[in-house]
Amino acid sequence: MLVLSRKLNQAIMIGDDVRIVVVAVDRDTVKLGIEAPRTIPVHRSEVYDEIQRTNRAAAGETEQPAGEGAKVADLGGKGRKPTSKP
Amino acid sequence: MTETIVEFADREIALDLPRFGACTYRESEVIAFPWGLPGFATLHRFIALTLEGQEKFVWLQSLDDPAIALPTADPWQIFDDYSPQLPPYAVSSLDLARPEDFVTLCVVVVTAGAEEMTMNLLAPVVINLVTRTGRQVTLETGGYSVRTPIPRKAPPAAGAQAS
Repeated sequence: MLVLSRKLNQAIMIGDDVRIVVVAVDRDTVKLGIEAPRTIPVHRSEVYDEIQRTNRAAAGETEQPAGEGAKVADLGGKGRKPTSKP
Repeated sequence: MTETIVEFADREIALDLPRFGACTYRESEVIAFPWGLPGFATLHRFIALTLEGQEKFVWLQSLDDPAIALPTADPWQIFDDYSPQLPPYAVSSLDLARPEDFVTLCVVVVTAGAEEMTMNLLAPVVINLVTRTGRQVTLETGGYSVRTPIPRKAPPAAGAQAS
């Protein structure tokens, strides 16, 4: 892992279009400002870890269904769709 | 090289799955997950399966690893007021233009003995049905939980029988 020291208001560039700035430092909390293209998802890693765990649990814990009769699902006509803001 | 272009034939492909046994699918029914799924980052090709008598569930079956299948369901079957606001990265990366072109499924966890059933409302799986491309999207608003308990007496699916 690359380790860099930064002071308040100093930044790190990742690639050409992701910029991370140290906005505030208070005891054991560091506030970071992140400028990234809207096409890149930015999340706290605990959230991502939790989704990973849930997916693994879904694939692993869920009981074996009674085998027979699996067929490709018709995903169209599933009813309501989410509202998106394109 | 005088390789001739092989005409794309959407033939049926037979599979023998550890979970579901024999089943067939067509190449045109494959859903690409270019970003994988959290926890399964290297799996990029899935098919959506249903089982007889369990039509409320859609299993996302990996074609890269036949042992992996994730149960999902239409969230509105259970949570009528679910209102996910898809973040811009999801809309652009999945090329979501028209609402009728995509479908939303949420991963379900059923613990051993079916004592508890939860649904991941925080990170729905969104599938563009036109490009057949999917991605599990983390919502930034709405305050949804990764493990939202499904009430015991969930009302039957309103749209389940609609064709």
